[in-house]
Order: sequence, then C-alpha cells, then structure tokens
Amino acid sequence: MKCSRCGAVAQVALPSHHSGFCPDCFRVFFSRQVERAIHQHRMFSQQEPVLVALSGGKDSLSLLRELVLQGYNVTGLHIDLGIPESSPAARAKVEAFCAALGARLAVLDMASEGVPIPAVKACVTRPICSVCGKIKRYYFNKFAMDNGFAAICTGHNLDDEVGRLFANTLRWDVGYLSDQGPSLPGRDGFVAKCRPLYRLSEYETAAYAFLSGIDIHVAPCPYSKGASFTRRKELMNRLEGESPGAKLQFYESFLKNARPHFEAAEDRGGVALAPCERCGYPTSAVVCNVCRIREKLG
Amino acid sequence: MPQPSPVTVVLEREGRTLVYPRLTTAHQLLNRLELGVNDCLVIRDGELLTPDRKIRPGDAITVRTVVSRG
Repeated sequence: MKCSRCGAVAQVALPSHHSGFCPDCFRVFFSRQVERAIHQHRMFSQQEPVLVALSGGKDSLSLLRELVLQGYNVTGLHIDLGIPESSPAARAKVEAFCAALGARLAVLDMASEGVPIPAVKACVTRPICSVCGKIKRYYFNKFAMDNGFAAICTGHNLDDEVGRLFANTLRWDVGYLSDQGPSLPGRDGFVAKCRPLYRLSEYETAAYAFLSGIDIHVAPCPYSKGASFTRRKELMNRLEGESPGAKLQFYESFLKNARPHFEAAEDRGGVALAPCERCGYPTSAVVCNVCRIREKLG
Repeated sequence: MPQPSPVTVVLEREGRTLVYPRLTTAHQLLNRLELGVNDCLVIRDGELLTPDRKIRPGDAITVRTVVSRG
C-alpha cells in the first residue's frame, strides 16, 4: 500500500478514510483531525489556559504532545490513584514524558486526598470503574476551577465516545444523551470539558503514539477486567470491520440529529444541581458522592 | 532441502509468543489471530505493517492490541 499523500510505503491503513499513510503524512493527518475538532466545536483558543488529564496511556500522552506542538497553553494533570500494582508505573511514565516534552505537570495524589482507590473499592458496592471515574472527574474539575483553567481536555477517542453513546442509547438515558459530545461548555461549578481526539479511533492514537516514539503505560488497571466498556468497544469494532466509517457516522449523526432533542428534553425535566454542603461543588444530593466516600473512609 | 526459518509473533498484551512455520502477509497473520485491520498494531523492526505487507521467513513480529482496558 502506498501513502495517499506522498506515494511512499504506507505504514498505517485507514479503511474508514479509504487511505493509507506513511509516518510523516499520518502525523499531518492526525494533527489536522485534532485541529478540526478544536475549531469546529470552538473548544478553546491558543491563549486560554487548558488542563489536560493524563493517565499515562496512549490517548492522553498523544493529546498532550499534539496540543504542545500546535502551540496551545496546556498543563498536564495526573491523578495518582494509589493502586500499588499500577499507579507508580503510570505516574513515572507521565512524569518522564512531560519532562522530555518540556510540558507543565501537576500531580494529585488520591491517598493524600483521603480517597485511595483500593480503600474506596473495599467500601463501595457499585462497580469500582464507575466510582473511580466519578472521583477522577471531581478532582479534575476541582483542580481546574481552583486554578483558573478555561477547560479540561481528556484523551477520549472515537471508540470511547461511540462505546459510551451506544451504552446510553441502549438505556435511552436522556440525562447522559443530553450532554454527550466532544465539547461541553462550562457552567456553575463546572469548567468546560473538551475531547479533541473524538474524530480519531483507538487504532489511530495507538499508531500516532508508536510513530512518535511515546513511551506509554500499557499495563491495564487491575480492577478493570471484564469491564462492560471493553465489551462494547469490541462489539462496535466488529460493526466497523464490516462497514468502515460506521462509528464516526453514528457519532456525528447523533450530534447533528439527535442530541438537540435530548438537550431540550433535559431542560424541561432534568435533575437540579446545588452546591454540596461539604465542598461546595455541584451535586444532585445534599452531600456529593466524593464527600460521602471520603467521610465513609474516615 | 533446508526448511525456511519460522516467523515469531509476540502478542504483547497477552505476554505470549507464537511460532508459525510460514506466513505470507500481515493480513494472513491478522486472520490467524482473528483480529481486524484496526484492532492492533503489527510491528516489525520499528515499523508498522499494513495488511498487504509481505512477511518473510525468520521475521520477528510484535502484535500490540489497541483497545485500552482502563
């Protein structure tokens, strides 16, 4: 296969784009997809301070690299979950990557915040992935609000977004469907959230990380085995294999044709939020989930 | 007549190594592993292989699954 742009030997085949790319042209393709997502959804400007959530995986590190190269005003934030089997290695990768890239990095330690994930896992009955996600989102938002960032960027890719959309659609979850998208504006107590990789598949971010020589954290979280989001991704990949481009079309069509209706429905009857009595951040209960977990752990 | 050298395939995530007496293309390897074109990176000598690329006797290939697991 030849590169669709320059005719050199291709290293990346993209059936969904009817294209193949050599490493240099693939990086151009990748940059343009990120640029297009940021501009099309008016995510943030070059000057606005933006926080990038860094797990140490291929998506978040690729996103930070790309935003730095494109000249955005970014700072990385890593959350150390306190899981002995995986957290020290993930943190070391993030710290080494940011040092080599010359990027600013902040680290929040969940043990110091009173919510180390192993202890949280032992005290909750719900699936730990859901609780851990809630805790991470809480601290990303809090850190961004406390430090004056205009937006939080996460490395969610097309597969993450489509998997989540598929799950929300199976449940016809009006609340979640009303605000799923690559860009969510800030509102009372919440900083804006952006997903600049939403046009790029998991394969494309993996190829970008490899071709850019990014040393990623590959060991999966020891608690994520059998997680439902992995099964949904595999299901969607089978669909994409038979019908290249189906994932992006499903997602873009949702944004264009369906989301406005769910937004309107949520505006009519959505759950009202109020400041948490303990921490002041928005919650639908009197005391937010994170404060309740923190109190339970003593 | 000497036998051609086998092809060694390392499945990175699974931590397993497979040995094939002969493979013709990356596409054939993906079929043997029941993987789609964009399910994994097929790596040889620091390069990514598209499905049409030929695999030579004695090649050492790494297969890196791309679906993240949290």
